[in-house]
Amino acid sequence: MSNKNLNHLHGEKEFLNLSRDREKIIKKTSPKANFEYTANQLAKKLHPKEQFVKVAQIISLNDHVKTFVLQPDESAGTLKLAYFKPGQYISICVEIDGGIYSRPMTLCCSPKCALKGEYRITVYRVENGIVSNFFLDEVKEGFHFKISAPLGDFCYSSIRDHKNVLALANGYGILPFISMAEAIFDDLLDCHLTILYEAKTKEDLVFKEKLDDITCKSKNVTVVYVLSEEDDNEYESGVIDKKLILQFKGEENSYFVSGSTSFYARINDLLKELDIAKKFVRHDLFRGEIELKNDEEFSLTVLCGEDKCTMKCRGSETLLQAMEKNGIAAPNHCHVGVCGFCRSKLISGKVKTIDENIRMADKVYNYVHPCVTYPESDIILQLPN
Amino acid sequence: MAKYDAIFIGAGNSNLTCALRLVKSGKKVLILEKNNVPGGVATSFIRGRFEFDASLQELMEVGTEENPGVLYKLFQDLKIADQIRFFHVPTCYHIYVKNTDQEYVFPFGIRNFIDKMEEYVPKSRESVETFFHLALECRNALKYIEKKQANIRYEVLLNDYPQFIKIANSSVEEVLNAIEMPKKAQEILTAFWMYFASPIHTLSFVHFASVFYEYIATEIVIPKKRSHEISLTLAEEILKNGGRIQYLSPVQSILMENGQAIGVQLENEEKFYGNIIVSGVAPSLVYSQMIPKEYVPQKALQLINSRILGGRGFSIYLGLNQNANEIGLADYQYIIMDSLDSKREYENMNQITHSNIRVTVLNNANPSCSPKGTCILQFTSFFSGDGFDKIVTEENYFQLKEQIAKRMIESFENATDILIMPYIEEIEIATPVTFARYGNYLDGSIFGYKVTGLDNILPRLFNEANEIYIEHLQFSGSYGPNACGYAATYLAGDQLANRILSLEEGGKEHE
Repeated sequence: MSNKNLNHLHGEKEFLNLSRDREKIIKKTSPKANFEYTANQLAKKLHPKEQFVKVAQIISLNDHVKTFVLQPDESAGTLKLAYFKPGQYISICVEIDGGIYSRPMTLCCSPKCALKGEYRITVYRVENGIVSNFFLDEVKEGFHFKISAPLGDFCYSSIRDHKNVLALANGYGILPFISMAEAIFDDLLDCHLTILYEAKTKEDLVFKEKLDDITCKSKNVTVVYVLSEEDDNEYESGVIDKKLILQFKGEENSYFVSGSTSFYARINDLLKELDIAKKFVRHDLFRGEIELKNDEEFSLTVLCGEDKCTMKCRGSETLLQAMEKNGIAAPNHCHVGVCGFCRSKLISGKVKTIDENIRMADKVYNYVHPCVTYPESDIILQLPN
Repeated sequence: MAKYDAIFIGAGNSNLTCALRLVKSGKKVLILEKNNVPGGVATSFIRGRFEFDASLQELMEVGTEENPGVLYKLFQDLKIADQIRFFHVPTCYHIYVKNTDQEYVFPFGIRNFIDKMEEYVPKSRESVETFFHLALECRNALKYIEKKQANIRYEVLLNDYPQFIKIANSSVEEVLNAIEMPKKAQEILTAFWMYFASPIHTLSFVHFASVFYEYIATEIVIPKKRSHEISLTLAEEILKNGGRIQYLSPVQSILMENGQAIGVQLENEEKFYGNIIVSGVAPSLVYSQMIPKEYVPQKALQLINSRILGGRGFSIYLGLNQNANEIGLADYQYIIMDSLDSKREYENMNQITHSNIRVTVLNNANPSCSPKGTCILQFTSFFSGDGFDKIVTEENYFQLKEQIAKRMIESFENATDILIMPYIEEIEIATPVTFARYGNYLDGSIFGYKVTGLDNILPRLFNEANEIYIEHLQFSGSYGPNACGYAATYLAGDQLANRILSLEEGGKEHE
């Protein structure tokens, strides 16, 4: 071994002094310092644990659709709203008749609004919907809410997506594209957006005015209105079909799909027919269809820390829905099994789920997402906290 | 109010291992974790049809069943080895150097490595052999020190590890020069410095050589179901043995009494009391924000002030809609370097424009990790200083991270001549801000404190006991004495558990 030269290195004496030398350096260091970490501070701004807002204004778009302008609730400690990406949502928490409900709501405004201290969400009435009817009929200006940080990844990626985005929307599915269109107009998003906006009647095209305004001002946004239950020469009639897609798509496109469950099913079939690669098809939060055979009533026991609570849960109801109704504030955000926030351990019982987003190892140890999990027997569930 | 034997802040690798060892010894433990899964960054996440590992690229010290490494033995001892399926990484690494347009491909195995180096740099053989001899001695000496901790006997070291003693205080560069390794061979061999995020003129030879030896000599593995498989197995085993893990429970402060740590308080003001508090959160954050000022000794502030933050992580996770081999991705690990000068590159890596990256192709070790006809790529890199922090703002954050990621992906494509951009079906990007948020890493420094000068691991280990400034408060994780890395943190957790158990026994004897 040719390591005689090692003798010229520091050697034994230095070795014995390592400890003392380190101490010396520490002793020489000032105890005063600025322990502020820029990235950690920015992380708190971009991903606050929660945000408190108040309703500053309510804009009625028709009897069944209202936009709510939210501003920071300074009295509850929120001074600024987190910035977001067009296409993201917040989860809003409401208490109704002893139940605690959270719902994902798309931010339907430009990210610029957040910097000015404003978010906009739009609520469409859902028949028998506890939360939507509460918002449309009960919520007044000045109401206070707790919301999450902006979440979700139904967002344009300049790395993954084609520059031409063909947005396919029906009903409330238009909301993320309002945000994208405004962001393009504000120069925050660099893509060409063509929206095929399907609705039953002209009256349902509640964002037409806003969209027309943007398309007038920005050459990068185009909107095609499609009416399924009303004929008018100025509009496309029928539903979004292959012909319409081929007519309005550019040479290379990414397809962003947002709307009702049946709309997804229909559009997905069309895109499959057109042989569009998976990478060019993005979906907003979307709940797969599930066939539930029984609506039997089961018992659901929820363990949380050292607390235990038992309630009823029907076979047609998710575990999360039962917990919401019973006022259990279980963690949740997306309600379609993709965000993973409600991950909980199934201690016992049989369940049915449409979940495709459980980690491989989580499956082994019986973790489930209660937001997309239905009981098929009595259940014991351990919440994460 | 229930009192715990040990309360852990964070469910990272060290804390999980330490807690499992303690519950198995009959201790009552509580882990408080801010996220909803165990592991810290040893976790996974799903995008579309892909499950990505958040941080693991290779697990060392596992070895094979016939020749198990220390980590595997630890997992066996904790009775979790059988529950985790490991895949061996088939190829070592493939380096591309952009400024010279050179490529180097290395196989595993010391003999193979030396032969290959001789091919690339004729007449390097003797010095590279010497390097591995020294590396083995350093590795063994380090194991002795880690095992004996406070009871190291200098005579034993001097007798059993005479070369180690000579070089214990030297940098990688000093030792490689002393053994007269040709410059080019030095540069190629030390491209691995990226693993430590510390350049070779200040990085301890002992640390570098021990890890590098392990990397080349024994097999590298990855778990089948991502690092989450290990984290979850540890967590489930803790639960099975009566331990408690509470998720979504960020600790806000450490409760003090008579100068000692006695418990913790959550953000929701819930309090827990314990005999010992183990913090996975960095000392800098604990001393500056989690303990009332009057309890923090000046020495503690001097210590945290004397330390430098290690590399701030930047990772890109890609799900491609093509089979890896079909697009030319034949190796498991690629290292792309702008140049092989670590001092220069370390400085450049403070700029967001650098493109020094490590890229792993998960399918080349774990073929079924993604659906047929797809593959998973993980890019990791870091910024050496606050270059990223200085530029990033709330408004430019989303664009900036895409811009950096795009440059890194293009850099990979240019160096390897392999096209990947058109096949990206899913992409996620983690920045220092992501790591700061997810794991409380200071400015995203997933490498912990920088291993450099007198903050290399030997001085850290020697002074570990002296640097406990608050009684009943211990630190673990990548900011601990063993520095970052999967094997390092699991093993450190076990060492900490043994120390806690022996302290207790010692205490009983006193009584």
